[in-house]
Amino acid sequence: MSATISSGPARNTSVAEQMSRSRHRANSIVKALCVLATVIGLAFLASILWTLLSLGFGGISLNVFTEITKAPGSNGGLLNAIIGSLIQTILGAAIGTPIGIMVGTYLSEYAVGTRLGNIVRFISDILLSAPSILIGLFVYQIMVLGYGYSGIAGAISLAIIVIPVVVRTTEDQLRLIPTALREAAVALGAPKWKSIVYICYRSALDGIATGILLAVARVAGETAPLLFTSLGNDNWSVNLGKPMSSLPLTIYKFAGSPNDDWVQLAWAGALLITFGVLALNIIARIVLRPRS
Amino acid sequence: MPNEAEHIVKSYEQELKRLATLLTEMGGMVEHQVADALAAIITKDSNAAGQAVEADPKVDAAEREVEAFVIRLLALRQPMAGDLRQIVGALKITGDLERIGDYAANIAKRSIVLQQFSLPYTLSGLAHMSRLVQENLKNVIDAVGESDTDRALDVWRSDAVIDDIYNALFRELVTYMMEDPRNITPCTHLLFIAKNLERIGDHATNIAETLYYAVTGESLLATRPKGDTSAYAVVRPVRD
Amino acid sequence: MSITNDTEGQSARANVGQMEARSSATLNAPRLAIKNVDFYYGANKALKGISLNLPEKQVTGMIGPSGCGKSTLLRVLNRMYDLYPGQRATGEVLLDGQNIIAPGVDLNQLRSRIGMVFQKPTPFPMSIYDNIAFGVKLHEKLTKAQMDERVEWSLSHAALWGEVKDRLSASAMGMSGGQQQRLCIARTIATRPEVILFDEPTSALDPISTLKIEELIDELKHQFTIAIVTHNMQQAARCADQVAFFYLGELVEVSTASQMFTAPREKRTQEYITGRFG
Repeated sequence: MSATISSGPARNTSVAEQMSRSRHRANSIVKALCVLATVIGLAFLASILWTLLSLGFGGISLNVFTEITKAPGSNGGLLNAIIGSLIQTILGAAIGTPIGIMVGTYLSEYAVGTRLGNIVRFISDILLSAPSILIGLFVYQIMVLGYGYSGIAGAISLAIIVIPVVVRTTEDQLRLIPTALREAAVALGAPKWKSIVYICYRSALDGIATGILLAVARVAGETAPLLFTSLGNDNWSVNLGKPMSSLPLTIYKFAGSPNDDWVQLAWAGALLITFGVLALNIIARIVLRPRS
Repeated sequence: MPNEAEHIVKSYEQELKRLATLLTEMGGMVEHQVADALAAIITKDSNAAGQAVEADPKVDAAEREVEAFVIRLLALRQPMAGDLRQIVGALKITGDLERIGDYAANIAKRSIVLQQFSLPYTLSGLAHMSRLVQENLKNVIDAVGESDTDRALDVWRSDAVIDDIYNALFRELVTYMMEDPRNITPCTHLLFIAKNLERIGDHATNIAETLYYAVTGESLLATRPKGDTSAYAVVRPVRD
Repeated sequence: MSITNDTEGQSARANVGQMEARSSATLNAPRLAIKNVDFYYGANKALKGISLNLPEKQVTGMIGPSGCGKSTLLRVLNRMYDLYPGQRATGEVLLDGQNIIAPGVDLNQLRSRIGMVFQKPTPFPMSIYDNIAFGVKLHEKLTKAQMDERVEWSLSHAALWGEVKDRLSASAMGMSGGQQQRLCIARTIATRPEVILFDEPTSALDPISTLKIEELIDELKHQFTIAIVTHNMQQAARCADQVAFFYLGELVEVSTASQMFTAPREKRTQEYITGRFG
């Protein structure tokens, strides 16, 4: 007595088969193109790594880590450049990360949907893809012209590059946390800041840490901003108020020179940066893999 | 249940309708059975007596069918509120109908015995009582079919009249028995027949109460006025 | 011949057949009194003039079709709507005579007295022990021994102690769905609230876990006043002492559970309960 579902028009199997075959053809073609693109990309990457290894490995010796940069032919190393890079990168990250986390928290917890929140997010995204040389020029204008080239100016320019990366990561990770979790904390009587610090940050910890590491990996290789802020230093200096050496700047200086040992050192420096960044990425992605 | 809206699940609606139909059919069977049994007494129709007795297994089967259906509905549909009352009410009503059928068959069997006797007294009292009982039974079965609580209430109230007639019949029959010992056998059978009729009336009233609760959710007064005083009746001969 | 009636027998029948009127389940005095509450999502009025009492140490079930406002009302009771601008409530909700939806109420304190368990189990990313301790630490200063005791008390009363007592420092995320929900219940009762609100607590769980939680609610009601919103009418029938039926933001009918499910007064209630809703 109840209505039966009607079976609809009859299936035309030969047309369906034709369409299926042409779909399979298209699928195979596109798949082949994708594989080709991957192979090309990987080939470039492999070639770069191989070049670095073959040209740079020869330059790695104990001297590189114990001697500072010296005149050509004096058996110099890269010690001041390595230390200078480390100092500026770590300081830059230390300045930029807290600011980035706080802005990211603000955007995700307090300013959802508000006009100000949208504006802040927009500016952060622009800054994220701004040419780093502009940032270097900006810091040059506000700090270097008044106080001269210095390591701290270099660190600040790196911090400005770190901030938008951390903002984006923090906001995205916090957004992933379900509202129910926050409400559960609030329902127990927790004030909002406690629910953010004890619950949200703990949940998002892995993701935020990954974001920080990736930001650090990025700024480790930045050259342009350092050109205008810390200038580079041929001598040993850990004085933040004075110009400071760094690996990218040293590579820039040595690679174009006619001296073979400087060129060799430049390749060695490039190798060091590359594998340092690679190590950071590996740590970020594998060791800190987000718990499911 | 006179509900304007239908169940969202149509098969449920259909099952409830089927339950109502089963009840109505069984009610019709039992009405017929009672009519046959009473015709057998009043007009000494032995065909009718035979039909009344043969109908009893069918009535029993109908009761078992309704009972199984109700259990299934309770398990599978988890009925609530009005549906629950209707379904449980159906269970009680078939029980009452089945007892009515049993009484009718009993009356029919006794009518066959009675045919051996010629009775010097009229059965007008019994005929009057049987008409009333049949009317009540018909009214209550119609009320069930239409979920009509007013008619159910009428039936519920009119049982008192039947009880009065029964009391009178009781005394009349005892009197006959005391007058002439040859009357004892037929009068005893007639007593049982009258008692069965009175019980049919009671069951019809039970059905009315169940229907009232199923439709409205309220019980009729906890105590039904029981007018049957024969349990306490003492008949003594007057000393001459 | 005289015919008499036996008078002695008649008096005996006076009490025959006199049934005692069956008493319906009685409801206690109200712990929480909701008076004429309206609720607005922006300009949209979602609750209209709700007045309802939650009887002390009994379970009030709230049923109704989707969008009828029952969850909204629940979230008014612990001021969850305060988290979201544009949502507001008017009217009175009286706890010990104080109107908790008036401005100036300490919300954190309020939420320690009125707890809530949500539909999806939400264990915090910490150990089981810390999950329970989190809520307690917000409001009380306890020594380690006292905290241990409170954690054990909460987990026992949530029927979870036996299963987790050897792994209190394990992460809470490693438990099954039913266990996680019981953990959330333990977390809520750890702050010793007076009222517990359950928002569809078992709709994400399998049938056996559901029954365990219903049994738990049966136990908890000896100590706490409980309100439970549920889509499942059979659950309301099993768990609740008092049932309220909501439709389109209005409270249509409220009565004891046995009355509601055997003979509801309102036609709309009857239609919803029997599945006739158009």
